[in-house]
Amino acid sequence: MKERLEEIKTKGIERIENVKNITELEQVRKDLTGKKSELSKVLKSMNDLSSEEKKSIGMLTTEIKTSFVEKLNLKEEELIASLSVLEEPIDLTLPGKKVNEGALHPITQMKNDLNDAFLSLGFEVYSEDDISSEKYAFDNLNFAKDHPARQSMDTYWLEGTEAKEGAERLCLRPHLTGGSVRYLQKHGAPARFVYPGGAYRNETTDARHERAFFQYEALIVDKDISFSSGMVLIQTILEKVFGRKINTRMREGFFPFTEPGYEIDMECLVCCGKGCKVCNHNGWIEVMPGGVIHPNVLKSAGLNPEEWTGFYINIGLDRLVMMRYGIDDVRLFHSADLRFLKQFK
Amino acid sequence: MRVSLNLIKKYVDLPKNLTDKQIAYDMTLRTVEVDKVEDVSLKYHDIVVGKILEVKKHPNADRLKICITDIGEDKPVQIVCGGSNLYEGEYVVVSKPGAEVVWHGEGEPVKVEETKMRGETSYGMICAASEVYLSDFFPSDNENEIIDLKGIDCKPGDAIANLIGMNDTVLEIDNKSLSNRPDLWGHYGIARELSTIYNVPLKNLSKYELDKNLPKYNVEIEDTTKCNRYVAVEIDGIYEKESPIWMKSLLSKTGQRPINAIVDITNYVMMAVGQPLHAFDRNHVNGEKIIVRNAKENEELLLLDNNTIKLTTDDLVICDEKDAMALAGIRGGKKDSILPDTKGIVLEVANFSASAIRKTGKRFAEKTDASIRYEKGIDTQRIDEGLSLALELIKEIFPDSKIIKYSDVYPNRTKKNEIKVSEEFLDTRLGKKISKDKIKQILISLGYEVSYNNGVYDVMVPTWRSTGDVTIKDDVMGDIARILSFDSFEAKPINITIEHPIIQNDVLLNRRIEEYLSSRCGFYEIYTYPWIDEKYIHAAKIDISKSLKLATPPAPSLAYLRSSLIPGMLEAIAKNLRYYNEFKLFEKAEVYQKGDYRPSSNDEILPIQNNYLTGCIVGKNAKEIFYEAKGVIENMARYCHMENIKLEKIEKPNYADINAYLNVTKDDEIIGSLGLLSVQVMSDSKIKRTNVAIFEINSDKLDTYNSRTNKYERLPELPLVEKDLSILVDKEVEWNKIEESIKSMVKEIEFIDEYKGSQVPSDKKSITLKVKMINEFTTMTSEQINEKINNVLKVLNKKCGAELRTE
Repeated sequence: MKERLEEIKTKGIERIENVKNITELEQVRKDLTGKKSELSKVLKSMNDLSSEEKKSIGMLTTEIKTSFVEKLNLKEEELIASLSVLEEPIDLTLPGKKVNEGALHPITQMKNDLNDAFLSLGFEVYSEDDISSEKYAFDNLNFAKDHPARQSMDTYWLEGTEAKEGAERLCLRPHLTGGSVRYLQKHGAPARFVYPGGAYRNETTDARHERAFFQYEALIVDKDISFSSGMVLIQTILEKVFGRKINTRMREGFFPFTEPGYEIDMECLVCCGKGCKVCNHNGWIEVMPGGVIHPNVLKSAGLNPEEWTGFYINIGLDRLVMMRYGIDDVRLFHSADLRFLKQFK
Repeated sequence: MRVSLNLIKKYVDLPKNLTDKQIAYDMTLRTVEVDKVEDVSLKYHDIVVGKILEVKKHPNADRLKICITDIGEDKPVQIVCGGSNLYEGEYVVVSKPGAEVVWHGEGEPVKVEETKMRGETSYGMICAASEVYLSDFFPSDNENEIIDLKGIDCKPGDAIANLIGMNDTVLEIDNKSLSNRPDLWGHYGIARELSTIYNVPLKNLSKYELDKNLPKYNVEIEDTTKCNRYVAVEIDGIYEKESPIWMKSLLSKTGQRPINAIVDITNYVMMAVGQPLHAFDRNHVNGEKIIVRNAKENEELLLLDNNTIKLTTDDLVICDEKDAMALAGIRGGKKDSILPDTKGIVLEVANFSASAIRKTGKRFAEKTDASIRYEKGIDTQRIDEGLSLALELIKEIFPDSKIIKYSDVYPNRTKKNEIKVSEEFLDTRLGKKISKDKIKQILISLGYEVSYNNGVYDVMVPTWRSTGDVTIKDDVMGDIARILSFDSFEAKPINITIEHPIIQNDVLLNRRIEEYLSSRCGFYEIYTYPWIDEKYIHAAKIDISKSLKLATPPAPSLAYLRSSLIPGMLEAIAKNLRYYNEFKLFEKAEVYQKGDYRPSSNDEILPIQNNYLTGCIVGKNAKEIFYEAKGVIENMARYCHMENIKLEKIEKPNYADINAYLNVTKDDEIIGSLGLLSVQVMSDSKIKRTNVAIFEINSDKLDTYNSRTNKYERLPELPLVEKDLSILVDKEVEWNKIEESIKSMVKEIEFIDEYKGSQVPSDKKSITLKVKMINEFTTMTSEQINEKINNVLKVLNKKCGAELRTE
């Protein structure tokens, strides 16, 4: 009897080991542990045996059954682990399914990045209309009456108003700065705001010059602040845009609406300051004019310059985006060319 | 302006070991941007003096000669030359191999190499003036003539650059950056800045003093508002001759063409001190009298080229007793020219008002070196500097000349501006304390007179900065800050007070819309110009009566400003179709139309300006792209958290196909449209072999929610029963009708599909829809479901004539 049981065990374990799939496994499970299994037959045929023998055979049978169940469970786990939802392996190198295409213009992306940075510094975002008047574009900003920028060689005046003056002479805004007075007239001081937008100038275009371009201006008006506070903003912007500290220099610059005015140059990222075509071979790129608001501008905004002061920075978004990606032709921004735009997902 | 560092160094001893680049950098940071640092000797590298020892016949060419030439090297070299004026013992200019020359004075420079010319070796070339940038120094009419250095002190091998004073560095400064600094339009002004930057003394310009006890030259200023001062000096013994090389050199480096010694002296003085001068042939001045007056209406001035210009009473002219000789401060006329028979001159050193010169200059669209300087506002005191330097030079170049008469009519003197600057103001605005001594040193070096009393600096601005440049204390502060260098100030943190959160819903909505379109809907954002090609305005059938125009457009066809974003989009589509068949674009921008809009002040009336949003889907299947675009609009409100917008068919937009358009409405107002481009619009805008669904919305009309507004719905405890139905209806029956008819009977209806074609009768279409049903308290039994469906079908049949489609 014992021999038979040993044989059942060996054969059974062998069968379990040879099982190839779950269906077969279930059949084997039935055959080895079911009511009609060899083991059940052995148990049923035990009547003739002594109680001593019954006990030891019974124990042996149970032991074998337990080991069958264990082995079957192990086998089952093994089989499940090797199961695949696929009928056959697939080519893993095939490309994945395309996601929805589409992207914001690189200028908009830059604008949004800067908005995020300035919002975190407690600035408001302001916007002004494209068409403005000589009063807001020049008079309020302390431009001399016969400043060359007022000429039609420089500014796009609207037909029918070009011979008029001040509030009646209308133009596509030549810079964003006029918006500062609009804002201050409406909201007063202290003030802290940025205003992104397009500006337009009558220019001959080439890879470095455009008639329509984008600016991003930031302005702070408060009491008793020094012009050097403006440098904090500059560093914030550049670090935000390029993700690291960028070498800058601040140099003398003249703008009618500032006193003093300065130009902020950043190290040319195309040549790392060594000098190349993009930076006109001097290693620096002019990115942001800025300066302390001229007292006459504060006056036109209805503020007392003895009480209030402040400063601007005006970022040339086009230049900054060109630096960010190494773009070599400013005219691409208005080209609406998808071959260009698809690169900025 | 081009600045010669050699001339600067005559006026100021710059620290040793300072490189030219460093000078340019320091000036850029503190005074004005230097665009370029140019070593002017580079043009003349490997160009030396040679002495012709022997001239031989060329065996193979009649016109060429072989010159054995000493060029200061170990052995004489052989050079083949075709010059017409070669002789033994002649000192000539030799370009050695490696030098760069301009063939026959035209085109790009070419590198000289050792070559064979008709079989004979030539070690470089013997040059004509135009070939090696020497025409200014050795003018010649005959291009076959080579330069003969006769009379010039030199020896073989001498570098030509040394010989002509070209061992120099020129700093190039964009004139535009100098507009606010009239004092920097001469070398002496730049030298003053450098003397301040490096804290070294500025030397005197000229020691020449004019004996003023001379007979008076007759000068009369009629309009003293336009002429502030007029000095006339009559000098005998001046005639037309060439200038010395050093003077030609300075003029050539600074971009002036040497003409003759008299004109050159006036130009030299202008380059040195920024004061324009003018010389009249004294014999041409009728009546020995100069009158400065306004021109008569239509008075004519005869120019050197025999053309005449017509003047108005606004123009200031310099006249003799008979007629106008020159346009004051701008240009001379024919009458005042220096000619070979000139024997004496009347030298004019005058000051004209900036605005008068600007006005006349603008009318004649002419800028001269003189007018550019006058336009910026020159102080009247600069005449003294200019005059004394000019007379010193005249004495040097015309030693036999004699000053006979003199006159100085001086109606208006430039006053020094007086400004009080408090120490406290400087400390706060500079953000750091600068010592009194430092402040004084900087200001005094720049020419200010400074005294300090009780915390206040009393400052007298130098005359050369008092013509509009420095007027308020902020200007003085700016001078101090820039000389210290803006870079030397540490960035100071800004203290802020937090009062209220910044919530700008319109800004946020804008951002959500652009992100919805680009990220969720797959559009690429574009920017187009505000001026629009008329071709596309007409193609889009836009009414231009309300459009604005530019006075001076970028091109004649680009005069109209956009009143809609559709034309710009048409152009973008047409251009991109060259490379792509299917794409989606959108643009957000302002559009403009005539009207009355006063955003800031009552006197400022601007045109109406609105922010618009447009988008297009380009693809072959018109129906598909139409519904895709419709989906973009339908879902916009929900995804961008704004008040609902609707789509209704009200009026056809001009661009749209007769069968496929809808209007976008909000609160019963039309705020935009959606449609397929009509065949004609596409054909007019050269959009071929495709279809376009396009939309345009006035985005100023969109309103954001202040907060999220949708409510949470409890999750159903019972299962929702879904059933798909395919029904046959007449072609004309619209989905809207089907949906409305059974909407109240079920929980939800979803459109699945529409089919027209061979499987259904030709006047019918098949619609597949999904209805979703639920009982309030118990799970639906199959009987309940069937009953519901039957009811739905009955209603559909009654209201829409629908039959259940059987396969």
